[in-house]
Amino acid sequence: MTNLASVRSGPHEIDLRAAASYLAKSTRFVPGQPDMWAFVLFEALVFTGYFGIYMVHRTQNPELFLGSQAQLDLRIGVLNTLLLLVSSWSIARCVRAAREGAYRSALSQAYLTLFFGIAFLTSKVFEWSREIHKGYTLSTNEFFSFYFFLTGIHFLHLLIGFVVLGVVVYQLWSPARRSQLLVETGATYWHTVDFLWVMIFALLYVMR
Amino acid sequence: MNARFEKRLLLAWLALSAITIASLWVGSLDGRGGLSANAAITFGVIAVALIKVRIIFREFMEVRHAPVLLCRLTDTWLMITAVSLLGIYFVGRATS
Repeated sequence: MTNLASVRSGPHEIDLRAAASYLAKSTRFVPGQPDMWAFVLFEALVFTGYFGIYMVHRTQNPELFLGSQAQLDLRIGVLNTLLLLVSSWSIARCVRAAREGAYRSALSQAYLTLFFGIAFLTSKVFEWSREIHKGYTLSTNEFFSFYFFLTGIHFLHLLIGFVVLGVVVYQLWSPARRSQLLVETGATYWHTVDFLWVMIFALLYVMR
Repeated sequence: MNARFEKRLLLAWLALSAITIASLWVGSLDGRGGLSANAAITFGVIAVALIKVRIIFREFMEVRHAPVLLCRLTDTWLMITAVSLLGIYFVGRATS
């Protein structure tokens, strides 16, 4: 029976599976600067710490947290998440387009990312002002302290994200620059803003 | 752009968005009496959130094509987060 994983060519035998595995390993790459990945993993761990502290307080007073959570509008939380997900998709497409040399398309995707980021920012400010108008502030109770702290610190990361997107646009703008490494590094940061929000959304709006 | 990559990214985004919209169904489970504690929902919500983050890591952040070390580091973070959040929730429930 013919062994499909190997090809005989004269005295030499090529193991296709081993060759494919070698090729896959040799084409693996770190997207963006490794320093950014170190920062992302560090930030992710810091947020895990925040989430853990939130969870400890929540389990000590579940009724208060559930009652306060009911005051949030789940639909706004869903909208926030959808906006960041579509922005993440855009910046991922921007990276792929830039890698293939399609800089016009990459720039359009970077602008789309910026647009959806601003839409998230606007919806978040609207939501905060709505909660504050209803009388819920940082000092109302433990749940709202965590709500404003977690969404606030995430908002700060979002603002830094706009600066990072500015760098990406600056890189893509002129043929004299166009550093793929910087584009990928910026995208990695932007995705971090997205995945941290996915966790915050689950913990503040949806869990029971 | 490479059509295969384009399709993969689109599918990842569609899956993430569909799961997010499904959260509205969780919100509709509670009646007018307000929200009530539910361990099964909490377990599901945290597990699904971590799966969403893994999709973002692997598809959007291209960890799928990254060296094995980066794949392991991101998966380790997911495990640490899963164990700590679910651990605190269930231990807290059992002791309160």
